[in-house]
Amino acid sequence: MSTSNPDTTLIALIDRIALADEKALRELYELTSSKLYGVAVRVVSNREWAEDVLQEAFINIWRIAGDYKATLSPPMAWMALVVRSRGLDFLRRRASDRADRMQELDDVISDTVAGDSPNPMDAAQASEQAKVLHNCLSLLDNKQREVVSLAYMRDMSHGELAEQLKLPLGTVKTWIRRGLEQLRGCMAKLA
Amino acid sequence: MNLIQNPALLEQLAASYALGTLRGGARRRFEALARNHAEVRAQALIWQSRMSSVAELQPHAAPSALVWKRIENLVKADKEAKAMQAARVVAKPEPSGWWSSLNLWRGLSSMGAGVAAVALMVGVNLNSINAKLGGEVQELTAKLSATPEIQYVAVLADDKAAASMLVTFDPKSKRLTLKRVGGFQEQADKSLQLWALPQAGGPRSLGVLGGDAVVRLTAASNDVNVPTLAISLEPKGGVPSSGGPTGPVLFKGTLIQTAL
Repeated sequence: MSTSNPDTTLIALIDRIALADEKALRELYELTSSKLYGVAVRVVSNREWAEDVLQEAFINIWRIAGDYKATLSPPMAWMALVVRSRGLDFLRRRASDRADRMQELDDVISDTVAGDSPNPMDAAQASEQAKVLHNCLSLLDNKQREVVSLAYMRDMSHGELAEQLKLPLGTVKTWIRRGLEQLRGCMAKLA
Repeated sequence: MNLIQNPALLEQLAASYALGTLRGGARRRFEALARNHAEVRAQALIWQSRMSSVAELQPHAAPSALVWKRIENLVKADKEAKAMQAARVVAKPEPSGWWSSLNLWRGLSSMGAGVAAVALMVGVNLNSINAKLGGEVQELTAKLSATPEIQYVAVLADDKAAASMLVTFDPKSKRLTLKRVGGFQEQADKSLQLWALPQAGGPRSLGVLGGDAVVRLTAASNDVNVPTLAISLEPKGGVPSSGGPTGPVLFKGTLIQTAL
């Protein structure tokens, strides 16, 4: 668990990468690859594909690091979104293969949704903004939190979530609505 | 607008919009409202930013070490591609400049086109080469960096700075290629010998040149990784490397590394 705010270090590295500093890219990779690989695994739910996604994401970061300044996002959020976009692109490219698209969810996710396993979210290395969200998400029921997280990470509709999680559509809608309501109340107090 | 008078509903919609579960007509209506009402737009942006942190909260996992290796290779290729582009921009082709023709140099480095190109070179007025030499070597270096198989290039000149020998080195085939560009021809009982002049230590022989216009020698990258090359006039067949050159040094030049 990192205790210090890592944003400053990451921003400095991204600035150097914008000037084509390969060493800075290496340092950024060492600091963030396990976090970002986790993001990729979550989006594509296949470790091998996730490695391709992570690779594409870092090449992308190498090329667009100069654009980071124009965003107001914390650096880890920005990078995680780059990984998520590359992951979603990856899934779209495979969309022609229906078997790939509709693959079974990995065990971790189905277990979390089905049962009451502990919070799989990890605030280590996350930005301050993410830590606030993490606190609020911790207040949610495990299932609600998992469905919200999955909806965002995989960009899935209520219907797609219901199909993948083998849950009634109404249940998915209710969990998400309640999850967002609680989140709204909590964020209003904390943020 | 109802939505604006109902902040709780507005936030709920903004949150579903940012989450991505607000879809179809409802999404389009929300987007239209956001374009027209700053308050709606602000809530959408706030929730987009909050939701983006969901991505930061995913559990860690360790990728295989190969991933970094692949990234590193791609980044190198990316840098080389950029350098190539830069070289093309810097070296705008002159209409009459045969020297500037990248295709010519590419041709020269391939054996098939070599003969034709050398025939062309012999016809060129040496004075015009000399006049252009200063700036052109720099330009040439930039261009050659765009041809990855050529790692080093040197123009060896005599004491009057007249170019007499063009040297290129291709580390892939370990081939040193020398092209005579001046009119110099040694007597029948003499040979030209090429030397590497390292920063420390004495000259090392890289080989003896035949009488042809284009000479190819084999050399390892280590042999060629030196600041300067020189050509001396030696007895027929050359002299042993250990003793260094015995005759006068006729041509000398700086070796320029072209690869990044």
